[in-house]
Amino acid sequence: MRDVTFGQYYPAESPVHRCDPRTKILFFIVYIAAIFTAKNFYGLGACAFVFLLVAALSRVPFGSLLRSVRAIVFLLVFTAVLNLFFYSGETVWWQWKFIKITREGTIYTVFLAVRLFLLVAGSAILTLTTTPVSLTDGIESLLYPLKLIRFPVHELALIMSIALRFIPILTDETGRIMNAQKARGADFETGGLVRRVKAVIPVLIPLLVSAFRRADELGDAMDARCYSGSKVRTKYKKLRFAGRDFIAFLLGAALLAGVILFRVYFANLL
Amino acid sequence: MEAISFENVHFSYDEGEKDAFALNGVSLSVQEGEFVAVLGHNGSGKSTLARLTDGLLTPSSGRITVLGMDAGDPKKLFDIRRNVGIVFQNPDNQTVASIVEDDIAFGPENIGVPRAEIGERIDAALAAVGMTAYRNASPARLSGGQKQRIAIAGVLALRPKIMILDEATAMLDPRGRKEVIDVVLRLNKQDRITVVLITHFPEEALLADRAVVMNRGEIVMQGIPSDILCREEELETFNLALPRPVAICRALRKGGLPVRDALSPEQLAEELFSVLPEKEAPSESPDGEEKFSSRESGRDDGPKEGDGGTGSVLCRNLTHTYNPGSPFATQALNGVNAEIRAGEFFGIIGHTGSGKSTFVQHLNALIKVPTAEKKYKPKKPKKGTVLPPPVVLKADGFDLTDKKTDFRKLRSKVGMVFQYPEYQLFAETVAADVAFGLKNFSDGISEEEINRSVKEALETVGLDYEAVKDRSPFELSGGQKRRVAIAGVIVTKPEILVLDEPAAGLDPLGKQEIMQLLHKIHKEWCKTVIIVSHDMDEISENCTRAAVFSDGKVVREASPAELFLDYATLSGLGLDIPFTAKVTELLEQKGVKLRCDFTSADFVRKTLEYAGLGGREDA
Repeated sequence: MRDVTFGQYYPAESPVHRCDPRTKILFFIVYIAAIFTAKNFYGLGACAFVFLLVAALSRVPFGSLLRSVRAIVFLLVFTAVLNLFFYSGETVWWQWKFIKITREGTIYTVFLAVRLFLLVAGSAILTLTTTPVSLTDGIESLLYPLKLIRFPVHELALIMSIALRFIPILTDETGRIMNAQKARGADFETGGLVRRVKAVIPVLIPLLVSAFRRADELGDAMDARCYSGSKVRTKYKKLRFAGRDFIAFLLGAALLAGVILFRVYFANLL
Repeated sequence: MEAISFENVHFSYDEGEKDAFALNGVSLSVQEGEFVAVLGHNGSGKSTLARLTDGLLTPSSGRITVLGMDAGDPKKLFDIRRNVGIVFQNPDNQTVASIVEDDIAFGPENIGVPRAEIGERIDAALAAVGMTAYRNASPARLSGGQKQRIAIAGVLALRPKIMILDEATAMLDPRGRKEVIDVVLRLNKQDRITVVLITHFPEEALLADRAVVMNRGEIVMQGIPSDILCREEELETFNLALPRPVAICRALRKGGLPVRDALSPEQLAEELFSVLPEKEAPSESPDGEEKFSSRESGRDDGPKEGDGGTGSVLCRNLTHTYNPGSPFATQALNGVNAEIRAGEFFGIIGHTGSGKSTFVQHLNALIKVPTAEKKYKPKKPKKGTVLPPPVVLKADGFDLTDKKTDFRKLRSKVGMVFQYPEYQLFAETVAADVAFGLKNFSDGISEEEINRSVKEALETVGLDYEAVKDRSPFELSGGQKRRVAIAGVIVTKPEILVLDEPAAGLDPLGKQEIMQLLHKIHKEWCKTVIIVSHDMDEISENCTRAAVFSDGKVVREASPAELFLDYATLSGLGLDIPFTAKVTELLEQKGVKLRCDFTSADFVRKTLEYAGLGGREDA
């Protein structure tokens, strides 16, 4: 992770990268809604089309996208196997005792797998094209109405922003402390569970001590820069929608409408 | 007008305890536009002074006024903080945002500056610190000096009248230190911002209009910096080191050369030039070699070459890339060739990012050469491709390119002390912490043996075993913690000891003590000592030989005496040269040719010899 900006942001120049983070978050929500609304391959096909379109526009190499799906391969295979063998369908293709493969089961399995893939790969596009910082800005801005019910939106945003700021610092520090203890013969790679948990202590304690020290110093530095809560506070950065954001909204609306239409006019999957 | 005024201020961190006063009756007045340097040993109360001024602490008794406002009045707190900017020591712990401009906006946002004006303030603040190009950068990727300049910009955006720097340069390398000090000077001279510079570097204090020396919560000296910094006895009582130039002048005077105290290389060269007898270019003695060798004599206990055997290192064609194959791939090492001989006190010089840390981490396999990885399988070379030159890396008799090497054993024989090693202490007691490595490396070692080795190690680093063994390492002072951490590495009796910036963050006296300790370890404990350092004086005073890293390569490997003769190469790489070398160079320009090995002692000796006072070697 050394020297890598936190998160999996993939720096590139693309319309997707340039979109307002609020647009991307909202679009993502619509996209998820569409995926779950789709009950047949037409609807899912529409989602897949939008996914491929956005993926192509984003200029993120497909390999990077696939890599982010790698984490759920196990889940994907596991559910697929369960569905394939235990779905109670009618057209039986193959059977061994209570395990059978049916036509319906196969179709359903494929459907679920595609759906899961689209979900995860879609969220990967969001995080690959948006820096954690602008994601935070977007969330803060979207949560703004909650201020009316005294939800501490600003404080939450500041906490997120500071957390993001300190993740690379603490990651680096963890690496340094681990190296220092390794140099003193600590072994993090072998041994059973108990041994490995024990091996973490010499890293965890210095890390905690350091985190507290940093928090203390940061508190002083913030005080010294007149931080006092949110009463008179202004905000320097304001997010602004541009033309491409409206195009994105249109695309999102079209997707949702299309999926609903497909659902109404075409038969459900099974 | 008076910017800051302290009237008989007392302050104590734990109220009630009688003599725990961090400030003990301090009276001080700083005028607007003044540049005041505050010097003092650790724990002298200088940071407390800064925090009190800004209202981060409130005094137990006495009165503090800032720009005419009473710091004790809670209603004025906000106004005072708007007008007093503080920059703290650790650049990482002062930024709240992951983008430079967002961080600078933080202050103005807090005081409710309208949006359009915040933009202007960011522009102005970045321009003032010379960081305009980094407006959208991430602080995590900046150098220490740049981060600290961003911290200054963050404070400037509040348009303060007073700027306090609380050891803001202590954690920086010389280049970063200079960047920050240049900015501060400009702010003071051009923008008339009142500056209080808390520091432990005498060179920085020299730039101020006035120096204030603190000791045990009291102001003990005050006056013109150049005058204050020459008062040897007083400085010594307050645990402050004499600046190197002054120390050299003293030694010269002791040897009979009537020089006045000088504080910069230019001054000293001037002084020397006026007192040294005029001579034709000195007869270059044919045994010129011998002149350099004062440092190396008596050190010939090992083989002449670094063959990678016991206590030595041999490295050929070493390369390393971080994050290979990703968009973030960076080539850190680019064909390093180095030889470190057994018995050396070896220095590694280079800028941040020159590859020196990556190199030393290879020495005890914290970074492994690809062929030493467990998974490694030799590939068949494709036809037509040129094979990269074979990598050779041997340390203390271990072959680091072979995956069959016993890396655990290696790590016990090549000890590694990281930067700020005190931050890796973790155990409940000092003794347990020191024993950690020993227990890891030696299976089935008896309790008795552990205790004996721990005792020996702690005593070697100058700590009283009985007094510290059962204490928590977190209770100790900074300097003591560092010693414990070093003891925790040497306890396994490594043949080679590698230290990354062992003196980082210490005041000059602490630096001297640590270097003395390393010499002691070198003599009694470890065959070879390798230090990574930014401080050229540290290298010239202590090392037998040094390697200069640049762009992932070793560009020069020589003794300091030869290395620092080559001013051009070093300054071409943006590296500094030691004080003595600067003076020698200036003298040479004037036609006075001194040949010394650039240690202060040898510089004094050779200067006296030159002046015909060579017999008196008490310097």
